[in-house]
Amino acid sequence: MQKKQPHDNGGSRIEISRRTFLHNTLLTGGAVAGAGLFQTFTTMNVAHAAAGSFSFAWVSDTHLYPKTLNTRFIEKAGRAFKEIEEMGSSFDFMIFGGDLAQKGDPVELQLGVDMLAEITSVKKHFIPGEHDWYLDMGEAWNRHFGESPWMFDHKGVRIIGLNTVGFAPDYWTAKGMSPKERMGHMEALDGSQAGPWSGLGREQMQWLSTALSDWPKNEPVIIFSHTPLYEVYPGWNFWVRDWRQVHEVLAPYGNVTNIHGHVHQPLYHETDNARFIGQLATSWPWPYPPTGVPALTRPMIRVDPGDIFDGVGWGTFDVTDAGVENEYKMWRKEVFAVAQHDSGTGDNGNQILTPRIADRDWTGN
Amino acid sequence: MKGMSKRYLLAAGCAVCVGLGVFGAVQESAAHKDPHDAATLKAFQDLFMEQVILGDRLFHGDPEAQQEMGVNLSKTGMACAMCHPISSDIHPHEFPKFQEQMSEFATLRDMVNWCIEKPNEGEVIDVNSEAMKALEAYMYWSNKGSVLDPGRH
Repeated sequence: MQKKQPHDNGGSRIEISRRTFLHNTLLTGGAVAGAGLFQTFTTMNVAHAAAGSFSFAWVSDTHLYPKTLNTRFIEKAGRAFKEIEEMGSSFDFMIFGGDLAQKGDPVELQLGVDMLAEITSVKKHFIPGEHDWYLDMGEAWNRHFGESPWMFDHKGVRIIGLNTVGFAPDYWTAKGMSPKERMGHMEALDGSQAGPWSGLGREQMQWLSTALSDWPKNEPVIIFSHTPLYEVYPGWNFWVRDWRQVHEVLAPYGNVTNIHGHVHQPLYHETDNARFIGQLATSWPWPYPPTGVPALTRPMIRVDPGDIFDGVGWGTFDVTDAGVENEYKMWRKEVFAVAQHDSGTGDNGNQILTPRIADRDWTGN
Repeated sequence: MKGMSKRYLLAAGCAVCVGLGVFGAVQESAAHKDPHDAATLKAFQDLFMEQVILGDRLFHGDPEAQQEMGVNLSKTGMACAMCHPISSDIHPHEFPKFQEQMSEFATLRDMVNWCIEKPNEGEVIDVNSEAMKALEAYMYWSNKGSVLDPGRH
């Protein structure tokens, strides 16, 4: 079967998706004000059939620093957690999608633990991000939040949480990196030393195959991962390196939705049997990568770097017989650009970029 | 002298030699310089790449590079590269232009200082400082080949 690629903008599914998007936007009225913030409905309907309706929340990429250094990210994470707590009764569960900490520091992780403890009105599930992992190789994360991958069934949907960050090829031992150096190279999105760190790895791939083996092929599956389960931009690990094998495992299942973090921006992509939805960070927005943005993505509007609440937020999902509806809870009125010149991708065609150089030949300090 | 290196001095020396050659040839032809040999060109390029690498380190928040240059580009733990990985979404080739955040017609160097002062909450640097030149070298180098389009929004 021919698989759609990120740049493929042909085919009927795309037209349906756009039409459905417009339809839902009209139905929900665009933007409404509530609780002192603007909630802009940004929906993408996907053809799912769930046994019962339910909702859940996604929050990720808080990138907490210690309070002594930076309270800006703490403030924004706290705002998201407070809003989720206030809406908790509307959700069946929430997902924390990774990158709780910035440097994997125990102080940062403990701060996150304490802040997340303030959410008591909804059940919480966790998957790690690379910033949580590479100081101690996930020890503290697993101790606080439990191991992944995991799965459970909920109202006719198989729910899976993956660990796409913990199985990097060893880039540290041969170069004698200390744990802090290992984390430092992982911390830079555009670093050259950590390489293609995002992936499931052979064992987890087998686990995924087994986890799905007893699930009916036409029933919905929702998979949470920190990094996207397709190829967007490998240079920033906006992918899993073994995405082709993932798609082979998922191919028999007709209703797959992957919801992911890491990219700090709205992204949307479809293949024949799956759709992939990128989520906002609470901390700060990444620019769109210079290439690889899927054709189905409606780009976020250009962000004001002087406004710390612009271009960030969290997300909700309503799963019904009609589909899965995603709402970006961005803390500003606008989410998507209307005109290309206001788009975060508007100038991409005009820039040619070279990967960084200062850490290319890193051999240790 | 901050930021100066053996390569800098070598390149400067090469330039002086080339200049003297030109001066010596003025009587014969004021319109031409002596051709640059490979060693001179390499010295120029090495000097440039040294500045690019220094700029890369500053851009990525390297504390030693900042200490070396006597600058404090951020007090929040954030670095330029956190919003601009591989120098993306800077568009140095689109400056100068009207910059809305500043409500003024701005150069790239003006914008660098705005980012240092506002999002990073750091200390602005002299627009002609060695640190600014290194940052500029890195941003232009990493956007090499982009289409020159000044004034573009």
